[in-house]
Amino acid sequence: MALNPWFVIMIWAVLILIMMGPLLTIPYLIVFPSRKENPFRDMPFESGQVPQGYARHRLAMQYYPFVLMFVVFDVVGMFLFAWGISFTKIPISSSLMVLLFLLLLGAPLGYALRLALRRENW
Amino acid sequence: MVNIPTTPADLIPFIISIITSHTFITLIIFPGMIHLMLAGSFLTWYERKLLARIQLRIGPLYAGGPGGILQPVADGVKLIFKEVILPYKADRTLFISIPLVLIFLGTLPFAVIPFGQHWVIANLDVGLVFVFATTSIFPSMIIIFAWASNSKYPFIGGLRSLFQQVAYEIPMWISALSVVILAGSLNLVDIVNAQAKIWFIVPAFLSFIVFFICVMAELERLPFDLPEAEPELVAGWYTEASGAIFMALFLALYLKLYMMSTLVTDLFLGGWWGPSFLPQPVWTILKTMVVATAIIIPRGIYPRIRVDMLIKLGWTRLLIIALVNVFLTLLIVNTGVLAAWGL
Repeated sequence: MALNPWFVIMIWAVLILIMMGPLLTIPYLIVFPSRKENPFRDMPFESGQVPQGYARHRLAMQYYPFVLMFVVFDVVGMFLFAWGISFTKIPISSSLMVLLFLLLLGAPLGYALRLALRRENW
Repeated sequence: MVNIPTTPADLIPFIISIITSHTFITLIIFPGMIHLMLAGSFLTWYERKLLARIQLRIGPLYAGGPGGILQPVADGVKLIFKEVILPYKADRTLFISIPLVLIFLGTLPFAVIPFGQHWVIANLDVGLVFVFATTSIFPSMIIIFAWASNSKYPFIGGLRSLFQQVAYEIPMWISALSVVILAGSLNLVDIVNAQAKIWFIVPAFLSFIVFFICVMAELERLPFDLPEAEPELVAGWYTEASGAIFMALFLALYLKLYMMSTLVTDLFLGGWWGPSFLPQPVWTILKTMVVATAIIIPRGIYPRIRVDMLIKLGWTRLLIIALVNVFLTLLIVNTGVLAAWGL
């Protein structure tokens, strides 16, 4: 009896939720509604210091250019998988085009890395 | 194919046929729930014991069995009954639900990871992409959890975790690409079957090194454990987690460790292939334990590296080595150097 693998994965996902759900829904349903406010207990942990203000500030994201590069290479990686799986089945001239594309990508990659690694841009 | 029961008398054979079916056994017992819970709790004990022995301590000792092997059970019971502290002005819904999502994401990839020729829950055609897709949701969930807990240390840890996992995901994919080229398939069962004669660690050795380093960075293990650096950020992005929430996060992290070790085994170390005096799943688990040990041991030995060193290593060195290795793999496949081994 061969089931569709996606259907089995769906069963597996539901099974995980059934097994793991009570672990966290029980504290949510039982513990939290019945408790009182306690400013000393609920204070964020800062190694004994009294916290000042909120934590949700705009923090300087120093490595932001790298995250931008990720957006590009994410897509490239997925295309490369599609090419790699069919590598032995397509003619070598098509593979050369992919390699050419990778080489072309090398120059902007180097430029972006050089910019992103400079301390002034952090 | 079993007929759908129409009368109450048919119900019992129907239930029995479901329980004894292969899919049910794989879902519940072997690569499924019971095995994963045992493996996850065993790994927590194993890591503590191993690190203790490296640092000339004894480690867990009293909680039953040889060497305190029931320590995870004791820890679990303790953590369930502890109070869950919700930090001031924290987002309650996200704070509770993200650990559940993390467990879900840590367990879901086991649906496609094979432990033997037939010991796999779902034999999916795009298994490798499925695993990568599920693991790449981790960083965003981590930063949401860090934001929800409204505390400064978790927020910094969450940001670090984000750009670390983002930096090491691309080299990891590209080093897995050479395995895909060698095997010609994204199905993990097919990938392991292609290693019957030669393990992919031999033709793709550089890939293995890059993949292993990236796995350590993805798992936030030393020397890459910046997101949870104890001396700087109390416990990183799970500083505010307590009680059942902490247990859920801990379980999710160890399930991810087990998942990544199994993935390394299946991609590079020949999966279940080995001398036939042991059954296939035993070989997979043995190799997985070797990989997990290699991932854990640096925690007892190495210092932590700096943030900019981490980023530089991931984006320049590893990415370029991985790309070069793709070209090497193409040469190997095209020239037929390893044709005797079916590559």
